[in-house]
Amino acid sequence: MPDLSVEQFQTLSQQIYQKLGLHFDDKKIYFLKTRVARRMAALGIEDPREYIFMVSYADPQGLEMQALANLVTTNETYMFREYDQLQAFANHCLPEVLSAKQARGERTLRIWSAGCSSGEEPYTLAMILQEVFPQAQSWDCRITATDIDENMLRKVVAARYGCRSVNEVPDRYREKYLIEDGDEYVVRRRSAALVHTLHLNLHDRMAMRAMRGFDFIFCRNVLIYFDDDSRKAVVDHFYNALNPGGYIFLGHSESVGRVTTAFQLKRFENHLVYRKE
Amino acid sequence: MSSLQEYVEKLACADEAERTFAAEDIGYLNAPEGVPALLRRLGEEESRAVRDAIFQALIRIDANAAIEGSIRLLASDDPRIRNHAVNVLRRKAVRAIPFLNAVMRDGDKDLRKLVLDILRGVPAGGVEAIYEAALGDKDPNVVITAVENLGLLRAREFRGRIEELLQAGSHPMQVAACVEALVGMGDPSSFGMIRRRFPNLAVLPDFLLAAFLKAMAVWGTAEDFNEVAALLPLRGPHLRSAILGALFAIRARCPSAAANTGALLAALRRIVEDGDPPLCRYQAVRILAFLAAEDDVYAFLVACLSSPERLVRLAAAESLRAAGRPGLEPLLAARANEETDEEVLQALSC
Repeated sequence: MPDLSVEQFQTLSQQIYQKLGLHFDDKKIYFLKTRVARRMAALGIEDPREYIFMVSYADPQGLEMQALANLVTTNETYMFREYDQLQAFANHCLPEVLSAKQARGERTLRIWSAGCSSGEEPYTLAMILQEVFPQAQSWDCRITATDIDENMLRKVVAARYGCRSVNEVPDRYREKYLIEDGDEYVVRRRSAALVHTLHLNLHDRMAMRAMRGFDFIFCRNVLIYFDDDSRKAVVDHFYNALNPGGYIFLGHSESVGRVTTAFQLKRFENHLVYRKE
Repeated sequence: MSSLQEYVEKLACADEAERTFAAEDIGYLNAPEGVPALLRRLGEEESRAVRDAIFQALIRIDANAAIEGSIRLLASDDPRIRNHAVNVLRRKAVRAIPFLNAVMRDGDKDLRKLVLDILRGVPAGGVEAIYEAALGDKDPNVVITAVENLGLLRAREFRGRIEELLQAGSHPMQVAACVEALVGMGDPSSFGMIRRRFPNLAVLPDFLLAAFLKAMAVWGTAEDFNEVAALLPLRGPHLRSAILGALFAIRARCPSAAANTGALLAALRRIVEDGDPPLCRYQAVRILAFLAAEDDVYAFLVACLSSPERLVRLAAAESLRAAGRPGLEPLLAARANEETDEEVLQALSC
């Protein structure tokens, strides 16, 4: 395996951050080194300096950066993925937004899971919402799950998941919100009823403009597959789709601040979150 | 009413989203006549989201008007506006070059520096005249930025010019930038020249030593190894990572580099055990791979497999594998039974 020096690791992480908005801290040196080694082997490059130069200055279409992105990110989706981020949502952001709404006499809550894939994220949010806010049943709460792939949306509607999808669901939640059915789990009707599917292409400018009035938007580990311009355009649409005081969540290593300066950065314990002022 | 007129009027809407959409629509219309309205709006717009959308529109409008407008914005007092304008012009690349040439000729030192910021990462083809002018600029910041850009781009056609600047330069930051640029360009003949300019590492100030160590990492020979190693106990912790990086690179390239093992082991042990940043400790343990033929080094690496710091354990697993002494597999397998970190397990078993 070609040895990526610490300096090269830092240079490459900086490039990945600038181009993909993904942050790799020092702890990730081995992880990144092993992925870079795979790309270098595939390209027949022996010197890490050559590889870093290529992704930095000789990759005008961003193809190699995208190939690296595919290796350093995971397509796997499962319930309660990126638990720490969900804790920030459950413990801080959601109570804050709900209190503000109660003070204004509002009883609606809108959450958008953008690029929801097979639905593990919107159902996770449904479980958290019911847990943190039992009154959700008497409010007009709606979680809109959108994806470009209609096959995925059919899976969301089926609300039926294998063991890999529910592995990280805390036992208490599993008993309360899922029903075991053979070697699968089905989301209980009360949680499933909160989730509504919608076919949506995030690149469709006019369709995106119609998405308004959300209190939370989750679009985790989706935008890393977009080029810079598209990512910026989508995040701008998210900004317009949010109510003032609403929050946006990208993947925990993705940076909103790099894409747009429009959001306000807030810190809850160890979590950085982005809020529309 | 034409679409453009409609969108221009909507730029003044009270609703922030409508203004954003209007700016976006003008961009997609790719109408140069929309540029003055966008720039006017920019002057009074308070929403960052709308300002972002206006700049995106300027990127989309493929016309000189967008370039000229963005060049005027380079003189803004607001650094955010200047940064956005730099980004727009960088995206215009080739088309903006004649306009950037004019700024380089007529602009003040801040504008000349911004021209080079725009060109950062843009291949030097077609902008040679700008770089020629920048390398002879009277403002050191302009020269330094040009040198940095050329190094990043490995623009070897400017190597001779940068070597001249290194020889003659007295501005410390410029000298350091020249060394780093030459390292980036990667011509081994530059090393001799850098060496002659700085014959004695021990007396180099820290900022120059950091640049010099990059040259050592790329070109240093077996004979240089001990000279670099001797810096470890003498220089502050802020240079440790650069020194360790150079040592690792020299030894990986020149296996014959003979180390004063006792002194080096002591210095590296101190780094591993004295709470240096985890990445430095990782580097120190990785260097020990080259000395692992010595029993005390090997024993220390084995002990590192139980370190509470995961990067130390990772480095120890990698170093022991690289050393490849007999009886290693059972040792690593036994350690793997106690390890819980996935990546360390991977390093132990690969």
